[in-house]
Amino acid sequence: MSVLAVTRLELRRLVVRPLAWVLAALSVAQLAGRFMLLLQIFIANQIRLAAQPGGPGYTDLVGVPMLSSILTSGILPMLPFGLAELALVVVPLLTMSSLAGERSQGTLPLWFAAGLPAWRIVLGKYLALMLWLTLWLAITLAMPLSLAHGITLDWGKLASATLGLWLMLAALAAIGIACSSFASHPAIAATTSLMLGLALVSVNVGAMMAGVNNGFFNWLSMNAHLDSMIRGLVSSADVVWFLLVVAVALALAAQRLAAERERG
Amino acid sequence: MSAPTAVLQLDHITRHRAGRPAVTDLSLRLDAGQVLGLLGVNGAGKSTTLAMIAGALIPDSGAIRLNGQDFLEQPELARRAIGWLPERAPLWPELTVSEHLDAHGRLRGLTGAGLAQARSKIIERLELGTLSRRLASVLSQGQRQRLGLACALLHEPDLLVLDEPANALDPVQVAALRTVIREQAAAGTAIILSTHLLAEVTAACDRVAILHEGRLRYDGAIDGGDHKALEQTFFDIAMRGNGSDDRMQAA
Repeated sequence: MSVLAVTRLELRRLVVRPLAWVLAALSVAQLAGRFMLLLQIFIANQIRLAAQPGGPGYTDLVGVPMLSSILTSGILPMLPFGLAELALVVVPLLTMSSLAGERSQGTLPLWFAAGLPAWRIVLGKYLALMLWLTLWLAITLAMPLSLAHGITLDWGKLASATLGLWLMLAALAAIGIACSSFASHPAIAATTSLMLGLALVSVNVGAMMAGVNNGFFNWLSMNAHLDSMIRGLVSSADVVWFLLVVAVALALAAQRLAAERERG
Repeated sequence: MSAPTAVLQLDHITRHRAGRPAVTDLSLRLDAGQVLGLLGVNGAGKSTTLAMIAGALIPDSGAIRLNGQDFLEQPELARRAIGWLPERAPLWPELTVSEHLDAHGRLRGLTGAGLAQARSKIIERLELGTLSRRLASVLSQGQRQRLGLACALLHEPDLLVLDEPANALDPVQVAALRTVIREQAAAGTAIILSTHLLAEVTAACDRVAILHEGRLRYDGAIDGGDHKALEQTFFDIAMRGNGSDDRMQAA
């Protein structure tokens, strides 16, 4: 019950905060622009693509690229960002105030005084953020799905990519909350969370550029795990990687909060 | 015949903050209907003591009992049994007065019709009706204090913890606050309030405890409005730090 009370309060605060609406409006507008461009390219090439046996279809050229630029970065580098790229910036901005904001405005002790264990506070706040992010993902998906009645969709591939994106959002939100639990100010939390997100996405590329071709860096990279799901391949190892990131980040946040209550 | 169980019992609690002792070996007992004024100069350890009683801080050592139960072992006891108004009434700026009451009610375990009833009652009692749709960010300091007090009283706690409740209130608001304190005490709520104002203690409390450098230097009843004697004791302790144990009285 108390987790739901925290979620409800956090959701309410998220909804009345202008930042969440501004981020939603700007990102959805940008994604709508991307959708129109992808659709234009698909229609322009439809006859040529139809002639290719096993060639890319609407799902490959419009549906999945709405979620991530992984498939289109080589062939369509000038398009606006997909949801995955936007999430690297949007999620840290959404999560920055979740605990650092409470700390800077002095409301954090109110949670402790309500007799709530730290993990319930962290989990309640996380669930509220995940509801917002799931809605954001659903709105993005609604664009390519709006044409589903007249087009053959590869539902399996789209579901796989959606799961990958949802897990990515879950991991970034957990990292954001962990950063917020350690930071004294929301801006510090946002910056740290952004840097960590970027590092996790590009750690394998960075290692390769430095001449290190190590399996560990590949395993550590978020893109390596997201990539296969974007291409329609769901493996339990990739799902477990994301769940591990979520669990570790939330446990760190809860640990930090509990220590704060003890240390004062 | 055994004595009734104390609403609040502090047994030798000690707490360090920023590497120095903020509260040392503090023991206190508070019964239902009693109003205890915690008096001390700035930095005496009043807010730290109240934060520990409210459950927002954990003591380094010692025990806190709430209605006879170990509060440190069962922190969820705070949920229904304690109402806390911290110093400067921290509020969520993006929520309205009414939303604050709902949020605090839910966190304290109130739901549905019970929550709606408690909210209406406290809004009427503390005259928050005209403010109920106003955002906390635009409230005056006095209004913030009133909302903080409403949040602390909403779930009808057994123990009310008020940290400098009269701060930033005008004389009319101070009088109204004293009325609320007296009404709550008459209804059986144990109340502990901190202040550095002697007048506040003598007007609202029936017992006073004086803290100095984290130690309890005096604990006694306020007898017959002998404010001069209390004032002398306070200044002795605050100026010379000589609140000797031999002056400490049993409450």
